[in-house]
Amino acid sequence: MGEMVSVINTVDTSHEDMIHDAQMDYYGTRLATCSSDRSVKIFDVRNGGQILIADLRGHEGPVWQVAWAHPMYGNVLASCSYDRKVIIWKEENGTWEKTHEHTGHDSSVNSVCWAPHDYGLILACGSSDGAISLLTYTGLGQWEVKKINNAHTIGCNAVSWAPAVVPGSLIDQPSGQKPNYIKKFASGGCDNLIKLWKEEEDGQWKEEQKLEAHSDWVRDVAWAPSIGLPTSTIASCSQDGRVFIWTCDDASGNAWSPKLLHKFNDVVWHVSWSITANILAVSGGDNKVTLWKESVDGQWVCISDVNKGQGSVSTSVTEGQQNEQ
Amino acid sequence: MEELDGEPTVTLIPGVNSQKKQMCFDWGPGEMLVCETSFNKKEKSDMMPGCPFIHIIRKNEDVYSQILRKLFNESHGIFVGLQRIEEELTGKSRKTQLVRVSKNYRSVIRACLEEMHQLAIAGKDPASDRQFSIQVSSLSAMELIWNLCEILFIEVAPAGPLLLHLLDWVQLHVCEVDSLSADVLGSENPSKHERFWNLPGNTQTLTELELKWQHWHEGCERHLQDGTFASSPHLESLCKIMLGDEAALLEQKELLSNWYHFLVTRLLYSHPTVKPMDLHFYAQSSLDLFLGGESSPEPLDNILMAAFEFDIHQVIKECSIALSNWWFVAHLTDLLDHCKLLQSHNLYFGSNMREFLLLEYASGLFAHHSLWQLGVDYFDYCPELGRVSLELHIERIPLSTEQKALKVLRVCEQRQMTEQVRSICKILAMKAVRNNRLGSALSWSIRAKDAAFATLVSDRFLRDYCERGCFSDLDLIDNLGPAMMLSDRLTFLGKYREFHRLYGEKRFVDAASLLLSLMTSQIAPRTFWMTLLTDALPLLEQKQVIFSAEQTYELMRCLEDLTSGRPVRGEPDAQQLQDDDVETTKVEMLRLALARNLARSIIKEGSLEGS
Repeated sequence: MGEMVSVINTVDTSHEDMIHDAQMDYYGTRLATCSSDRSVKIFDVRNGGQILIADLRGHEGPVWQVAWAHPMYGNVLASCSYDRKVIIWKEENGTWEKTHEHTGHDSSVNSVCWAPHDYGLILACGSSDGAISLLTYTGLGQWEVKKINNAHTIGCNAVSWAPAVVPGSLIDQPSGQKPNYIKKFASGGCDNLIKLWKEEEDGQWKEEQKLEAHSDWVRDVAWAPSIGLPTSTIASCSQDGRVFIWTCDDASGNAWSPKLLHKFNDVVWHVSWSITANILAVSGGDNKVTLWKESVDGQWVCISDVNKGQGSVSTSVTEGQQNEQ
Repeated sequence: MEELDGEPTVTLIPGVNSQKKQMCFDWGPGEMLVCETSFNKKEKSDMMPGCPFIHIIRKNEDVYSQILRKLFNESHGIFVGLQRIEEELTGKSRKTQLVRVSKNYRSVIRACLEEMHQLAIAGKDPASDRQFSIQVSSLSAMELIWNLCEILFIEVAPAGPLLLHLLDWVQLHVCEVDSLSADVLGSENPSKHERFWNLPGNTQTLTELELKWQHWHEGCERHLQDGTFASSPHLESLCKIMLGDEAALLEQKELLSNWYHFLVTRLLYSHPTVKPMDLHFYAQSSLDLFLGGESSPEPLDNILMAAFEFDIHQVIKECSIALSNWWFVAHLTDLLDHCKLLQSHNLYFGSNMREFLLLEYASGLFAHHSLWQLGVDYFDYCPELGRVSLELHIERIPLSTEQKALKVLRVCEQRQMTEQVRSICKILAMKAVRNNRLGSALSWSIRAKDAAFATLVSDRFLRDYCERGCFSDLDLIDNLGPAMMLSDRLTFLGKYREFHRLYGEKRFVDAASLLLSLMTSQIAPRTFWMTLLTDALPLLEQKQVIFSAEQTYELMRCLEDLTSGRPVRGEPDAQQLQDDDVETTKVEMLRLALARNLARSIIKEGSLEGS
């Protein structure tokens, strides 16, 4: 599609050092950013504006990632840092404050990801100490911690939750009763593996699957949002320059098969899905962000390259392959 | 499986030109975020400090155009109308109806075109004028293409009338040239031919027509060869033109704005009864002759050529690439699908193509603060992925006002999207609590059927009552109805309020029974018992006996329960009660009142038969 892509807003975050992550909230009205300058900032970006709402200090090292919780829990943001801490911030009476600090890791915490809101307020954190911790809000300012030690040898770089799927029928559950969700998430680590974790009935987390295909550290994993099909899809990227798309058609979730999306010439750091899961964005060491789409015959095609650099901004972005052929 | 037609284009984001920096990227609900970063996670960045800018990028800016909005709105009406009459489209009238729909779409495009054109020549400022001009040519192209598709695919003009339709098409879109010669080439001859053919109520067959035409054509040729026009080069030239001589036609190239004008003119003179299936031969050669190897075909040319070749699929594909938004291909494809054309031309995915395009178009609409409502209907008519796409998009609509929230909820409720309803209500309930609008929070939690939240809000109400001595949002609490059963705490709140009402209405006996039952049925939280017992005091102090002996015993039991020293988490323990002076006084007063009431009630019950 010859769509005009245009920059509609440029937010000057005034971060004094490298920005490591930027996340829009659920509605696209607020932007959270974090940086090596140890701060987390929140901006209101409605209508092309940029108003600094909060400048949150609390970390003692570069902050690697931020993640917004679902709006039904209020305005809640999590951040993780080199300082081994995970901080959960909350907006109360119009001001943002630290509401919880988690210090259970021995090394940099690299990734945080909120679980589907249906499960409650649960945060997964992956750390360079190889462990993954799960923080569950139990009410009245209390958080319960579960830790999976040695999830990945050397370190865990990324965590991503599977979308919520209620097993069995979708009959309206009587209020007050929680349906029996099967909670799962994926993690990627320095052991070149992607692991899938499942919560057992006793509340303990067990490694359900190992996905092996990468030949170097896995840098990011992203579980695609559900579009109602029985297939599950995970994207992974690695130091080895490869991006794989893993799919599982099996309802029991056992048979995962990888498909190589592309081999890049440099480390691939980040993969993320658009909200309807039809486009995958890949950020790599080659200074580009590429957008990929699956065509009907199952092939993944690159639909655009977003490149940083000088030059005009209103070049048409062409989808080279309209192929539902 | 086709090869990639071209390399994907690169979009450059303006930024500091540094070769060392990488790009960080994330999706917003409707936009994309990019910023510079370094992915190498080291404690100290050993390069220059990063750029503090984050760029928010959006595609599909067209959604924001004021004039195009009319296009979107009105075509939405036509689209929905078409889906609805689908079942009624039968037999002969079907084609007529579909042609009418097509013409409706085109008139909407034309209306937009007019407006846009007015703005373009209004001369406000060069930049926006240019913008409008671009839009004008884009819309113009769309109408041109759509019209041709209507003739070839929907109207399915057979040989004979086909040329007339094409003539109309060319006249409508191309012949804006004022020149007299153009008139000669364009308008006069059709009418001449019309008279010749006498089409209205024509009873001649195509073959008869063709014979007549051949006869006339041969006559012309004879005149030319005989040199009848030798004395006048103009007349000779004119005769050649009328014979469809290509060279002669091309000599008048300046009068022919483009190759398809040339094509139609040529056909008019050489093959007026051209059959649809032969069209593409002439089209291709017309294009080649007209361009004469000097220039190459432009996207529009390719699209029209594909149409002449009856390759619907190619038309759609080329349009998708050339045009700046999904509107055109989505609506045209949908219409063609209703004409049952996609299946025959497209073995692999017929209706999937239609759905794919509609989904993309509708998704784009959701980026807009009010056009999303149109998008809903488009999703509704996508049987495979429409519902789930709607579910994903609708939750992301910012609920900036109560009105908007209600609109969104209505959409979800109408489609039984219970999960989304619940989720949205919870979000609104949470927002209301944060802004201290307890009544609102309570309504939302009830609507979300969220027991836990209802309990939370009820607690807040009760706390408020304890602090201020009165209830807020009485209307709401008084009219809870069956919703009261959602949570125990909510039930208690409702019943407690009822107690106050009964007391206000001086229905003391009823009030008393209710009060007691709140405690004995365990609906009242123990933390509230003291308050309830204190509420009983005025009833105990009344002149008439209200609580019966049995009820009094119950009350006493409750009081003892409370003060007996059974520690329960979160409640003031018995020790605390004893130590607190105020509490002690209260307890003593209650004991006294209860004792007195007991005495009176025993006497009363003892002296009157069966009272």
